[in-house]
Amino acid sequence: MILYALCFALFLVGLYGMITKRDLVKIILASGVMGYAVNLMFVLIGYRQQAAYPILEPGKPVPAMVDPLPQALVLTSIVIELGVTSLLVALAIRLFQKYKTFDITQIRRLRG
Amino acid sequence: MDKQPGLTIIVKTVTRLIIWMIFLYGAYIIFHGHLSPGGGFGGGVILALGLLSVLLAYGRDFTLRWLNLKFLKSLEASSITLFLAAGLMGMVLGEVFLSNFLAKGTLFSLWSSGFLPILNIFIGVKVGMSLFLVVLALAEFDVEKGAEE
Repeated sequence: MILYALCFALFLVGLYGMITKRDLVKIILASGVMGYAVNLMFVLIGYRQQAAYPILEPGKPVPAMVDPLPQALVLTSIVIELGVTSLLVALAIRLFQKYKTFDITQIRRLRG
Repeated sequence: MDKQPGLTIIVKTVTRLIIWMIFLYGAYIIFHGHLSPGGGFGGGVILALGLLSVLLAYGRDFTLRWLNLKFLKSLEASSITLFLAAGLMGMVLGEVFLSNFLAKGTLFSLWSSGFLPILNIFIGVKVGMSLFLVVLALAEFDVEKGAEE
């Protein structure tokens, strides 16, 4: 249970960074931290004590295995997170091209 | 020495020596995706990181001369098209989309589990090329002039 609480704390760290920081790059990094916290929570839900990784190998007896479903979901989630991060970076570059700054307090009104 | 783009000669030499090993490792991960941890996505990321190390060490001009950008783009688009074609062939020859129509082979040998290795190869090429092209597009972006292509 304490591990789940720590995951939630990591998620809150990301949320804090996303809300309070002014730099666009720091906001993108904070969104990445939030995503990693959610991924970590998913993998921990599938974890079992004293269990092996869920892959069959020749000559290895079949032991108790961890749940492979959250791991597959997390793999998909990592890919989507990569796409979201690259989209955010592209938007940040566009904003920098327009306003010559990453400070979101300077990005106030639309300019030509 | 300062005139040349890219990093120092030490980094360039190490990159030249190590790049083919990175590609070999990525291909190994892709080809053994149905047997061991890894697979199309992980191996594709390794391929993209190999290309990125060239981009970092030599600069973008050399990389664009060394690589045929149009070929990379068509490789990326054709791999996902071939994946779709493989899925439709499963629909025609088997029962449903992506159903296995090849012989399964012996367990734990390299050419086993039907056409999963082939799909892994398509996915690996797709992931590697897309990741490299995304980073290249972000690096190519000129703040003054906008994107070149």
